[in-house]
Amino acid sequence: MKCKKAERLLLQSFDGLLKEKETEELEDHIKGCFLCQEKRTQYQAILDSLKLKDWPEPKPYFWERLQPKLKEKQKDEVWWGWKRWSMRTIPVFLLLVLFLTAALVFIPPGNGVELSESGVLLLRNLNPLEEARMLFEEEKIENKNMMLIFLAVEEKNGTGSISYEKQL
Amino acid sequence: MEEKELVRLSKEGDDEAFAALVKKYKMKVFNLAYSLTRDAEMADDLAQEAFIKAYFALPKFRFRSEFGTWLYRITVNHVRDYLRKKSRMNKMLYEGFKENIFVQEDEWAKKEKAQIEEQRKKLVHQCLQVLPENYQVIITLRDIQGFSYEKISEILNISPGTVDSRIHRARKMLRKKISPLLSQKGGSHEM
Repeated sequence: MKCKKAERLLLQSFDGLLKEKETEELEDHIKGCFLCQEKRTQYQAILDSLKLKDWPEPKPYFWERLQPKLKEKQKDEVWWGWKRWSMRTIPVFLLLVLFLTAALVFIPPGNGVELSESGVLLLRNLNPLEEARMLFEEEKIENKNMMLIFLAVEEKNGTGSISYEKQL
Repeated sequence: MEEKELVRLSKEGDDEAFAALVKKYKMKVFNLAYSLTRDAEMADDLAQEAFIKAYFALPKFRFRSEFGTWLYRITVNHVRDYLRKKSRMNKMLYEGFKENIFVQEDEWAKKEKAQIEEQRKKLVHQCLQVLPENYQVIITLRDIQGFSYEKISEILNISPGTVDSRIHRARKMLRKKISPLLSQKGGSHEM
């Protein structure tokens, strides 16, 4: 057996993991190997030194000292929980604001909203009273009658004053 | 009351149930912290912090292992963080200790056997503290606390095979650190 294998078996022997045959092989090797004898002595001494004889005790009132720390930590946890939550909310809120701004800029207002005829004319920078003014200003009675007929027809068909203007 | 019931009640915020668990495990948690640090004051602080961590981690405990094993895992991980921070200081202390041990050699030879034993324990502990933190932990769990390979594998969440090979490497490294200190300048510190 080589010293390397003997060392492995030696270390396992301290934990009682060796089979009978392995123990015999190890003992045979150690009997004839001064280095491994020394190793065994050293390992044994190290393991003995690691063992503690006198264990100290924790300070008195362990739970009484722990309890206020738990309460304090609980308060901190609530604060940190709120902070973590708010830290997550801020980017979401900013995204929402950005989205709404984009919507206001890129989606034209009034889409899908029905406007009155005067509203449409005002949006197109036209005077909604233009037709009435023209009607009143017309001197010839025939023309006035024709204009009234056209207006009545347009109103019936649902076409606006624009088409009337075009006709004029 | 059974431990499972105490854990269940603690999860629901019952302080008395958690107090009972603390009472049951405080010595074990303290001893584990002490065997890793060898500083009673620090071990007390670390044990308290480990219980605080456990209290807030209770909602995540799913009864997949024993409560004690889970608590030891939290303690070991917490003390590991502390050891990592402390490792540089330990190396400095070790260097100082290494020099000191030879300066005092003549005086030491005259000391009584009990004192020599005490000094040897100090030396072994000092050498243990400069090992990589993984090795410190495994030697503490096996050779100081006396946990079985299976228990260690549960606490550290590693396979029993890894436990075996890590114990082997850790003990070898510890002997490697100690033997030059003992073999130099004749054998007054022989083991």
